[in-house]
Amino acid sequence: MANAFVAAFEILSFGAIIVLIVLGLGIIASMMGIFNFAQGEFVLLGAYITYLAYAKGLPIWTGMVAAPFLVGALGFVLEALIIRRFYAAPIVAMLGTYALGLIIRESVRGLIGGFYLTVPEPIGGSIDIGTMHISAWRFTIIVITLLVMVGCYLLLSRTSFGLRMRATLENPSLARASGISTPLMYGATFAFGSALAGLAGALIVPVFSLYADLGIRFLIQGFVAVMVGGVGSFIGPVAGAGVIGTLSAALPWVMAPVVADVLVFVLAIAFIKFRPQGLIAGKGV
Amino acid sequence: MFDRQLSRRRFLSNFAFASGAVATGVGSWVIPAPWANAAEAPIKVGIATDLTGPIAYAGTADANVAKMLVKQMNDAGGLLGRPLELYIEDTASNESVAVGNVRKLIQRDKVDMVLGGITSSMRNAIKDPIVARGKTLYIYPQLYEGKECTPYLFCTGPTPAQQCDEFIPWLIKNGGKKFALPSANYVWPHTLNVYARKVIEANGGEVVFEEYYPLDQVDFSATVNRIISNKVDVVFNTVIPPGVGPFFKQLYEAGFLKNGGRLACVYYDENTLNINQAAEIEGLASCLDYFKVLTKENPFDAKIQAAYEKDFPGNFLFAAGSAATGTYRGLKLWEAAVKEAGKVDRDSVAAALDHAKIAEGPGGPAEMVPGKRHCKMKMYTAVAKAGNYEIVGRSDGLVDPKEC
Repeated sequence: MANAFVAAFEILSFGAIIVLIVLGLGIIASMMGIFNFAQGEFVLLGAYITYLAYAKGLPIWTGMVAAPFLVGALGFVLEALIIRRFYAAPIVAMLGTYALGLIIRESVRGLIGGFYLTVPEPIGGSIDIGTMHISAWRFTIIVITLLVMVGCYLLLSRTSFGLRMRATLENPSLARASGISTPLMYGATFAFGSALAGLAGALIVPVFSLYADLGIRFLIQGFVAVMVGGVGSFIGPVAGAGVIGTLSAALPWVMAPVVADVLVFVLAIAFIKFRPQGLIAGKGV
Repeated sequence: MFDRQLSRRRFLSNFAFASGAVATGVGSWVIPAPWANAAEAPIKVGIATDLTGPIAYAGTADANVAKMLVKQMNDAGGLLGRPLELYIEDTASNESVAVGNVRKLIQRDKVDMVLGGITSSMRNAIKDPIVARGKTLYIYPQLYEGKECTPYLFCTGPTPAQQCDEFIPWLIKNGGKKFALPSANYVWPHTLNVYARKVIEANGGEVVFEEYYPLDQVDFSATVNRIISNKVDVVFNTVIPPGVGPFFKQLYEAGFLKNGGRLACVYYDENTLNINQAAEIEGLASCLDYFKVLTKENPFDAKIQAAYEKDFPGNFLFAAGSAATGTYRGLKLWEAAVKEAGKVDRDSVAAALDHAKIAEGPGGPAEMVPGKRHCKMKMYTAVAKAGNYEIVGRSDGLVDPKEC
């Protein structure tokens, strides 16, 4: 019983980490139709900013709070300078964002000297329930992921900003005719997606430590999650991330980890073959 | 004023050093011989190591050691009255790039010896261009899984026997009998575990489980659960970064250390200490040929360490896990062999290197085992305490590599 509880918690916590990473990726892919291959590096930058705060002796919380804003701001600038030129050609956009990601990744590798660096959790240690120990920080990540998910959903579905964002992305010319500044909305959406990646990086760096390939490690998993969940809505990629994250964490409990690793992808490919539109089809929130 | 002059002189000497290094293509560096000798050409030393890519921190340290030693040898009058010239090629943590760059060393620069390669896959990729087609001597400096018995290929890092024979009995005494072998899924852990299991069982221990993970796996909840529920005493870890950090953290959070469990990891050196918080790896035991803490008891180690840190202050540490000590040992053994042979052709040097000895090196003396092309050396067991190592065991004499 205790064992089952620990297993459920661990699986849930890894699922939450994947959801957190995919949120930003999903918003950019669904709302803008751009597959941002630099998303992993935005996660890395969030992690790096948190590390910098720690290395400078500031409280780690300050780094975690600053990360989404700084990475979001960078996303806004990059959208205006680079991404904007690629909207007409999504394939070229993939290559462009991949190049961008490569530049960021190798720069960070240079800055941290290729090492693996630890960043402590603001809330460390474990929560003890009887004989069981569960990680306090992983528990915090689950809570924050839930809050961020609900927050994003409300922002997109209930606010006028969300409405204008969806209008811009669904029918830009009509949106422009209605007096919405579409370039600004594109920039804001990309910045928002980047900020979520920055937040994800800041929150996961205490778990995985900082290294240059931190972001790219999750990129493939993230894209598979988006495909499984379905492009076009906010909920789709999130649901896909939940499924992929949970599967990747759960399968090693019942089979050899090397087999589990491959099986997740095999299952995902089989699923997409039979349901190409993904778990949740259609546009909307 | 005094300070300023000193720093300006220092700057000029560094600048001279830097301008002396000539770039001859992407990733190639030559540090030419410091004096011209009309009678005879310089001896060419080739270094092929990972200056870029994920393990650049290790390769850069190895290249630094080579620069330091070649400079020392030249300052002492060179070898056989000839100056040494250092050729450094980047293997870029990428085997296909490496083979091309190593060919440059062999065919264009015609070096007399190549030292380098860090991973076993890199050694396997570059040994053929060096030894078979290149007809050149090759020295491999990293700790590895053993079983490399190619002629003209000499290994100067620790083997499984050297890392297990003294270490595992210590672990059984200071940890317990029940071992878990969580491992990354590639050649080094697979081969090392075969040997480790033999030693564990011969000493009355038991392997509760041995399991392999994809190299980029970062979530180990299922593994940690098995370790806790099987009441494992010693985790003999061969999971590598990036997985090892999250793995140790999850073990710590699950109360493994609190319950008296012992972590063991034979590649852990000063570089890897920073992957985790000190508390998460408190008591982690490692067994290597050198730890920085030895500088306190061994004057020669203190001398090497100080010389390295003076020339190369910064993040690229002189550490055993990144093959820096093996590089040092390899170059000094080769130097001894060249002196004995009196010439630099491959067969004469290989014949002398076969039984070469150095009285002083990182961690103590070292000598090649005749006919085996592997190196006897002193081994140390160290335990991590509050973010530093403390030596808890020393081999009585030089430990046999038991290879070939």
